Amino acid sequence: MRLFDGQRAWVVQRISALLLLVLIVFGVLALPFASPLDFSGWRAFAGGVLGGPLIALLFGALCAHAWVGMRDIVLDYIQPRGLRLAVLSLIAVVLLGVLVRVLLSLATVGLAA
Amino acid sequence: MDRPPPRLPVFLNLAAIRFPIGAIASIAHRVAGVLLFIALPIVALLLDASLRSEAGFAAVRDLLSSPFRVVTAALLSWALVHHVLAGVRHLLMDVGVGSELARARTSARLVLVAAPALALLLLVWGLT
Amino acid sequence: MKLSIYRYDPETGDPPRMQAYDVQPEAGDKKLLDLLMRLRVQDDSLSFRRSCREGVCGSDAMNINGRNGLACLTALDGLKEPIVLRPLPGFPVIRDLIVDMTQFFAHYHSIQPWLINDQPLPERERLQSPTERERLDGLYECILCACCSAFCPSYWWNPDKFIGPSGLLQAYRFIADSRDTATAERLDFLDDVYRLYRCRTIMNCTEVCPKGLSPSHAIERIRLALLRRSS
Ligand code: HEM
Ligand code: SF4
Ligand code: SF4
Ligand code: FES
Repeated sequence: MRLFDGQRAWVVQRISALLLLVLIVFGVLALPFASPLDFSGWRAFAGGVLGGPLIALLFGALCAHAWVGMRDIVLDYIQPRGLRLAVLSLIAVVLLGVLVRVLLSLATVGLAA
Repeated sequence: MDRPPPRLPVFLNLAAIRFPIGAIASIAHRVAGVLLFIALPIVALLLDASLRSEAGFAAVRDLLSSPFRVVTAALLSWALVHHVLAGVRHLLMDVGVGSELARARTSARLVLVAAPALALLLLVWGLT
Repeated sequence: MKLSIYRYDPETGDPPRMQAYDVQPEAGDKKLLDLLMRLRVQDDSLSFRRSCREGVCGSDAMNINGRNGLACLTALDGLKEPIVLRPLPGFPVIRDLIVDMTQFFAHYHSIQPWLINDQPLPERERLQSPTERERLDGLYECILCACCSAFCPSYWWNPDKFIGPSGLLQAYRFIADSRDTATAERLDFLDDVYRLYRCRTIMNCTEVCPKGLSPSHAIERIRLALLRRSS
């Protein structure tokens, strides 16, 4: 199964991990400065030129990272071909669903802003 | 890809194997990764709700309103903190920092202890 | 001393069972293998491999109290009783503590464990500087005992496709050799989700290597060599 090469997947996982690390750590550290956050403030951030792309980037990296990680787990524990394909597809659908949902939400607030 | 059923017996009773500390940190990293993956769709829906309406935003802000949710949040904060700490450990070891056995053991122990502590801190902060 | 040993007899085909033993070590019995040799006198049906009795041949690898090791290098002092002995985890059991190493050696052969050099033969031997020679330290000492591969979770799940720590350490031994000119081909072969990239840096391999080698470090070097090459 060559859905990803060995090295390329490994690199994708490391780069996305670094991105996630920076985004999550800064996100958590920024929380105290952002609060008390209200609805309109949050919407303005997520719909803004900074917040929108940042959130999109976060989820993009998240999905790439989780795909490689979950794929590795499946390759380890699930050997029968059919079941493996089914579980991998399920994971892909979930991750694509998450990505589409988030991008749609961001687009909606972005257009409203 | 399908393996023929083994004719010979194989000893692989994981309960009878003594796992080194690094293996425990590693399997915890994997479990945490799966938990985070499961949480992902919920996070996406919460994000959507929080942006959709004033009421949705309030509901997400006051998420930790029942004991069940607090326990779930505790589990997920542990998963996040452990996964990130163990992830940083991995990234460093990938480039040769702390990949020598004695130091890898120490860092594995450190991650296993620090994760629940930091997670608790995160949770308490979230509750207040 | 009390022992509990994994027994399997292919002739009866009965499922494997644990058998309790009690033997008195005698003066001069220092290692687990000494005790096993005494046990064999008591019960000559008990089967295990051994040859050099000094950590050179790699034949008496087994799971000792939940960890892989060589019986001949494991001190009796400090072993918790009953001493529980089982065959190498994840390997097909031929009889008692004897496992089938066919797949393990097939992986070893797959990495072409010999020097490849397409340059014309020099008149005398191919020379190495002391520094070049030092790069092989921690690699050439491997005795192919399989303690590491049989303790590697990634190898348990994919023993047919993942080369495993032992084979990868050997692969790096030739990549690191200044006299070998096939580095690029060797790296091409290893760049694969299964062969190399099943390793999750758990380091169980390094934990149990009776020669004190670090397969996980060799794997780290292979990954970095691949990275350097493609950037
Ligand atoms: C928050 C969402 C995250 C999810 C859903 C997630 C999911 C996963 C999964 C499923 C794996 C596979 C685990 C395995 O193979 O045992 C993994 C591996 C990994 N994760 Fe994450 N992860 C997340 C965040 C992070 C962050 C923030 C980092 C930053 C350091 C990180 C670093 C890593 C690394 C380095 C690996 C590879 C470990 C290895 O090769 O064994 N992850 N992740
Ligand atoms: S690396 Fe160590 S444990 Fe692995 S086969 Fe070689 S000597 Fe045995
Ligand atoms: S470091 Fe890699 S090769 Fe060694 S035990 Fe862990 S997964 Fe196996
Ligand atoms: S008998 Fe040769 S390595 Fe133990």
